[in-house]
Amino acid sequence: MVMGNSHLAMSRTNKLAVIASHCQDSHFLYPSKSWKGADSGADDASSSGDGKYELLSVANNLIAEEMRNVMSKTEVRGNSTDTLLAGSLAKALCYIHRVSKELEVGQEIKSRILVIKAAEDCALQYMNFMNVIFAAQKQNILIDACVLDSDSGLLQQACDITGGLYLKIPQKIALAQYLLWVFLPDSEQRSQLVLPPPAHVDYRAACFCHRNLIEIGYVCSVCLSIFCNFSPICTTCETVFKIQLPHMVKPKKKKLKQLA
Amino acid sequence: MDEEPERAKRWEGGYERTWEVLKEDESGSLKATVEEILFQSKRKRVIESHEQVRLGMMRHLYLVIDCSRSMEDQDLKPNRLTSSLKLMEAFVDEYFDQNPISQVGIITTKNKRAEKLTDLTGNPKKHTAALKKAVDTVCAGEPSLYNSLSLAIQSLKHMPGHTSREILIVLSSLTTCDPGNIYELIKTLKSLKVRVSVIGLSAEVRVCTVLTRETGGFYHVILDESHFKELLMMHVKPPPASSSSECSLIRMGFPQHVLAALTDQDAKPSFSMSHLEGGSGGPGLSLGGYFCPQCHAKYTELPVECKVCGLTLVSAPHLARSFHHLFPLQAFVESPMQELQGDRFCQACEGELKDKRIFTCPSCHGVFCTECDLFIHDSLHCCPCCIHSHIGP
Repeated sequence: MVMGNSHLAMSRTNKLAVIASHCQDSHFLYPSKSWKGADSGADDASSSGDGKYELLSVANNLIAEEMRNVMSKTEVRGNSTDTLLAGSLAKALCYIHRVSKELEVGQEIKSRILVIKAAEDCALQYMNFMNVIFAAQKQNILIDACVLDSDSGLLQQACDITGGLYLKIPQKIALAQYLLWVFLPDSEQRSQLVLPPPAHVDYRAACFCHRNLIEIGYVCSVCLSIFCNFSPICTTCETVFKIQLPHMVKPKKKKLKQLA
Repeated sequence: MDEEPERAKRWEGGYERTWEVLKEDESGSLKATVEEILFQSKRKRVIESHEQVRLGMMRHLYLVIDCSRSMEDQDLKPNRLTSSLKLMEAFVDEYFDQNPISQVGIITTKNKRAEKLTDLTGNPKKHTAALKKAVDTVCAGEPSLYNSLSLAIQSLKHMPGHTSREILIVLSSLTTCDPGNIYELIKTLKSLKVRVSVIGLSAEVRVCTVLTRETGGFYHVILDESHFKELLMMHVKPPPASSSSECSLIRMGFPQHVLAALTDQDAKPSFSMSHLEGGSGGPGLSLGGYFCPQCHAKYTELPVECKVCGLTLVSAPHLARSFHHLFPLQAFVESPMQELQGDRFCQACEGELKDKRIFTCPSCHGVFCTECDLFIHDSLHCCPCCIHSHIGP
């Protein structure tokens, strides 16, 4: 919350949105849908009287309240420890898109997304995640990542592709310090600061049959799935491949099925 | 050559009352109708493109640009050549964005000859640099379709069978000067499975109609500059693969990116192989880079074909960029707003639903507003709510 407040305090025109993401859903903590009611209430009990900037105090209270709602409502089902990161990023992108459309002519807003992550990656989300990253790159939106527990290959790739910063925090107590020091400045100011060096990103692909990272592989020309060994049939799209025979015998081509 | 019955030309059909389409609203402004028309065309594009057809993912495309005297005409500002080259640059960028493992080459034709501006390569910077330089060329003489097509065929016929071979011609003149029988050349093109498409800048030319019809491409004539851009962008999407193209496993390498800091003891500066052919400026020595897994030659950028061992080097995100063509997102169901009960909020952007229309995803029944629907189908390619319901404990 300190981070959010300082971002809003940096400039009058800065805006903030916070999304919570857990294993079943992602939820906008701020601004929330019932925001309109708090705006017009003059005798709002939640606004504090200690001289804080009004917007900040309202924001803080709202975030705390929504967080309590979310924690109490969701029942923990199963022991999945992964979060639906791709979905939250997709919702954030739609929100940014809407906000930039609602601006008046001539105004511009530069957006970036900061992801604070403690859970592990979910491998099933790879394709959706990559789609979201490419959409963000097209819109020039930086994705920064602040990772608490374990390294996340997906987020490293996201930061590299969009041009953001990736940081794994060595001491959790100093979270606020890291957030303020590394992630608060804008992209223009970042070139003038000495920031942690970019991490080494592993861009090797994982083969579809064993999930090993491979350096040389075979790619099916129809469905782009990657295999580590040559095989006569692609398992994803079931196309038969022409094998280069040493003598001039044409192999019988089976009936080609369409993509499932 | 079989003669297909010619479609009736537009002036032969009935009288179209195009002015009746536009309606004014109460303040006399046409904005609403114009937006409606644009919106309908966008929706049509989204709905049309959802069939399960095999697509040609690895594409080799030759762009043929006409540099004859008719390109100096000023009906496209400032003149046709400058405007076409600018649109070509945007096209090349977008093309490599959507098809990262494809290759493009550029040919220009004037004075009854054709010459290659750039060879077939997967590096977009070379093409944009060459296109920028080509703005200064003098347009003279007549174009030659035969020469440019045979020049393109010379390199395309050596390409492996699993790639799709395409030629896109931008033709502004109404004439062509050919040293040989072009119908024979069309037969050769058909046998080599090359798909030729033409974008005409002046008027419809019969030889182009035959050419595109026989090879399976598209022929369009532009109305104005924005239509030109739209037609160019139509060619960015992968075309359906012809049934006779072979499918094979292509051997590719996925090199690691080695980032060496200056303080690293073992770091040795080395030359990148791409600088051997007179690179694009900058020092040749660099500390980090991509090393080919087979021969350890160094390259600064991907995708590239290794000059030493011939292995194609790509990185996994490049392949991932093309995935959304293979698994397209379904079109959302449109419905009027009155049918919606409950909260009137879009589930993606948390905004209020102000338009008269809402869109529902057929699989997860999430409700979205018009803006989000367009954004999701154009850029995002995945439904935000389906991602959540995809994984349930």
